[in-house]
Formats: sequence, C-alpha cells, structure tokens
Amino acid sequence: MLHIGNERVPLCSGVDRRSFLQAGAAGLAGLSLPTITQLEASGAVDYDKAKIKNCITLFLVGSPGHLDTWDMKPDAPDDIRGKFKPIDTNVSGIQICEHFPLMARMMDKVALVRSLHHKTGASHENGQRWMMTGHDFNANNPQPYIGSVISRIFGPKGNLPASIILPDKIGNTGTSTPHGQKAAYIGSAHEPFFLGGDPANSDFKVANLTPPEGQTDFRINARQNLLTQIDELQRRTETKTTRDFDTAYARAFNLLTSPETKKAFDVADEPDKVRDRYGRNTFGQSCLMARRLIENGTRFVTVNHFDTVFNLSCWDMHADGGSLDNTYSDYERSLCPQFDWAFTALVEDLEQRGMLEDTVITVLSEFGRTPKLNNRGGRDHYPSAWTNFFCGGGIQGGQVIGSTDKIGAAPHDRPILPPQILASIYTAMGIDPETTMMPGPGSRPIRFVDAEPIEELL
Amino acid sequence: MDQKFEGTPKAEIRLDGRKLSRGDVTNDWGLRLQWQIKRDGEVIATPPARADISYTHPDEAPGKYEVVLQMWKYVNYKKKDGEFIDSKFIDISEPVTYTI
Repeated sequence: MLHIGNERVPLCSGVDRRSFLQAGAAGLAGLSLPTITQLEASGAVDYDKAKIKNCITLFLVGSPGHLDTWDMKPDAPDDIRGKFKPIDTNVSGIQICEHFPLMARMMDKVALVRSLHHKTGASHENGQRWMMTGHDFNANNPQPYIGSVISRIFGPKGNLPASIILPDKIGNTGTSTPHGQKAAYIGSAHEPFFLGGDPANSDFKVANLTPPEGQTDFRINARQNLLTQIDELQRRTETKTTRDFDTAYARAFNLLTSPETKKAFDVADEPDKVRDRYGRNTFGQSCLMARRLIENGTRFVTVNHFDTVFNLSCWDMHADGGSLDNTYSDYERSLCPQFDWAFTALVEDLEQRGMLEDTVITVLSEFGRTPKLNNRGGRDHYPSAWTNFFCGGGIQGGQVIGSTDKIGAAPHDRPILPPQILASIYTAMGIDPETTMMPGPGSRPIRFVDAEPIEELL
Repeated sequence: MDQKFEGTPKAEIRLDGRKLSRGDVTNDWGLRLQWQIKRDGEVIATPPARADISYTHPDEAPGKYEVVLQMWKYVNYKKKDGEFIDSKFIDISEPVTYTI
C-alpha cells in the first residue's frame, strides 16, 4: 500500500487509478483545450509581462470579524466596536487591530480591500465558492478553482504540481455544498494536489509521499511498468477523461520518484530558527511549506487555515457555548498571534530570498462578521462587508481600497465584489480575464471571471 | 483538522534594573507571548511580549516583583462560563525578581 496525499493506494492486489489522481493533479493540458502557446498567440495570456509569477493564498476558513481585525471602528458604540483596540501602523492613517503588532510594522507592503461584499447567502460555502472561483454556483454547475485555472494555463514548471492546497481540503463547514477547490470543467488533470497531512507533526517528514518500509524504488518502477501496459490496453477505449487520468498517473509517479519533489515538501530540512519564526503549528509550518513549494516550481498554493469550523478554536466567532464557541479570547490568545507570526514570517522570508517581487500573498476569507455583537458577545456571518488584503508581487502596498460606513455594515465607497479579487490575480499573472476563454460544459466558451480587476492594486 | 503544536517553547529572560529583555523563543508555537508580572505574589499585569524583546513595567509601587515569560498553550477550544477549561498560559522561562 502506498500513501499519496491522504489516499491509500493498493498496488499488490489491484490498481486504484483514482488514488493517483490526487498526487498527479496538475498535469499537462487536456488535448481539447487551447494550449498556452495558442493563448499567448491570441494575446489573452502574456507570461513575460506578468507582474506576478506565483501566488500564495492564506484562506482564513471561518472568517475573522472585520471590525475586530482590519477595519476597526473605535468611535462606534460599545456593542459594535468590540473589545480590541486599534494601533498605528508604519503607514500614516492606517490602523489595524492591536493583536497584529508585527503586521502593523509592514503595512507599507500591504493593500487592504475594505469594501468586499456579496449577496448570495451567508453560509461559509457561499463565500468559499466566491473567493476560490469568482462565482457562486450549485453542485450541478461547478466552476473551477483559481489554482486549477493557473495549472491549466501555465502547467507545471517541473515535477511539482502547479497548484497545491495545504494542509488539507476543506471539510464540514456547515452545508454539504461545494467549497470551490476543485478543477470542475478544467479537467481532473488540474485538480489541486492536497497534502493531506500535517507539517507540524514531528513525524511528518514527507511521509505522505514516501513508500512504506519494504517498498523499494525498484518495486515501484516495476509496478509503473505494469501500469504502462494496462494503460496501453485501455487506450483503445480512451476518452478525454481517461487521458486526464493518465496524466495524473504520470504526475503521481513523478512525485513519488523525484528526490527534488520530496525535498520541497520536507519542512524538517529548514533550520530550527526558520521553523520557529513561522510558528511550530499547523498553519505556520504550512506557510513555510508554501514558500518551499513556490521556490521549487509550484505556481499557486492555498493554505487553508482550518478545514472545519466545528469543535476547535477558529475564526468563526459565534460564542455559542457549543461546538462554535469561539470568542475574543480565542482571537487574542490563539488566532491573531498565530496569523501575525506566520504571515509576517512569510513576507520577510520571501523578501529576503528575493521572491516577494514576483510572488503575491493574498489573505482571503468568506465574509465579514455582524457589526453588532450577538447577545453572547460573539459575531455571526455577515457577507455585506469585509476586509481582505494583498501583499507583495509588485502590488501597491500601504493603501486602503474602499471603505465601509461608520459601523462597518456596508461598503461606503469603492464597493468590491469577490470576482474582482480573482480578476486582479489573473491580470497580474498575465492572463487577460476579458479575452481568455475556455471551453466550459458542452464546449461552450466561457470566461473564468466576469469582472474588472482592481486597478489600484496593479 | 485542529492545529498541532510541536515541541515545548523555551526562552531566556534577563533583568537589567527594571528593564526586562528576552531571547528568541525556541519551539515557538506562535501563540500569545506575554510577561506575567506579580507584585508580592499577586498578578498585576500581563503585557504582550511578541513585538518587542524588551519591556519595562511602569509600576513603581513598593514590593517584591516576580516576572516570567508565558505563552498560550492551546489544548482545545472548550470553555466553561467563558473561561478555557484545558487551554492555559504556561511559563516558558525561569522567573526573575526585583524589589522596589
């Protein structure tokens, strides 16, 4: 049995093709889709002119309250302004929460977008779909995850998948509707690779990509030869789907057999000082792994800060006394410090390595939280206004785009919709969202996002 | 997946007059870091210690002061009456003392 990602792959008693798909998610272009060369020739994509070559998204599952973090209203009434105080940053006129003291010292590198909003529903999944795909949709009409689009357009640089999600996929966040982290019509060859492990575990050591004891490289290669023969037989009944699977298989074996690939996942290879600087926790070590993966050729990494909102300390601050009992104490002691420590480590690390110029960090969430505290002192879901931000990648830092009203209830000026966030990333990566078309369901040409980029960022 | 925390954080602290300073934290969990300041055995302040490595407590009331560096230890989110049941602050340095 091999373990690839979080999938168990039986090799002795049978071949489970699906199990390989995770590891081989980011493969070559599907044959029926336009190639990068065609896209460049048409002017839809210009990689050479891209300001950003890579993207790391820190996705704050559960969603911080905007009034408690990056859009504070110190002059609002007690039951709106909340418990925390704002502090000055290194940019005159911009204040953020007192529990982000390190981020406050690098605000000149950060562009806050304070007027995000959407109107399709207040579930976590609505927001996840918006922020991961630029659309809201139902399960019958899935839209592709941005990392899959990047994988599809640019492909991998080497053996590593072009798109990776750490440390795991989003699980139960309330409803059984899509989370938006799938390739959809882009094809299974471009499914993001999910690590499916915890890099903060002391015994992690790339175990999820390592054959179990006794499984030698020779035996793996012998099985690859067997697979090749089976695949040859199957080509007689080949469809596009099976071709995608083949690509994924090839990618899986590359992942298994390439020492460089395994090394990229091995955060234990970093000096202790570096690991400490990111924080010896799941999120911090995932951020460190994201840097290593980008450094080694991955183009798009999303770090899910939490895979659920239930029965753990997370951003979903309902203070309900039950399975969603997150409060100001969780923010003050765990969440804000953990984020502040890891985010600033990532920025510093990328900058010191000369990688911040062509790597953008986006910090995204599903929605904001209610301006008025609930009767338990928490805040509930609120998609009518929230703050996300960008850093690095040539993005103009030290600025605030948009604002909310006096109580953070609605955008006051420059309202921004989620697809504009994605359109900005696509544009900065050299993809024109206006003209880049892909065959969607039924080969109907469709655009990835129907929105203008945020000009102030670019 | 709940957050996992690796190792046990430790740090050295020093006292120069009333000025406290700390070294880097090893096995840093990245959670809230604070000075716990006691006067005559009673906790009187817990200022943050993350952003700056030095701190001078402004209180000049007479008494014996004992200071230790603490970090939040997250075990789980469970609370009773708003207070954590299992998660708590732990000392990650030896204490230092001074008298005013």
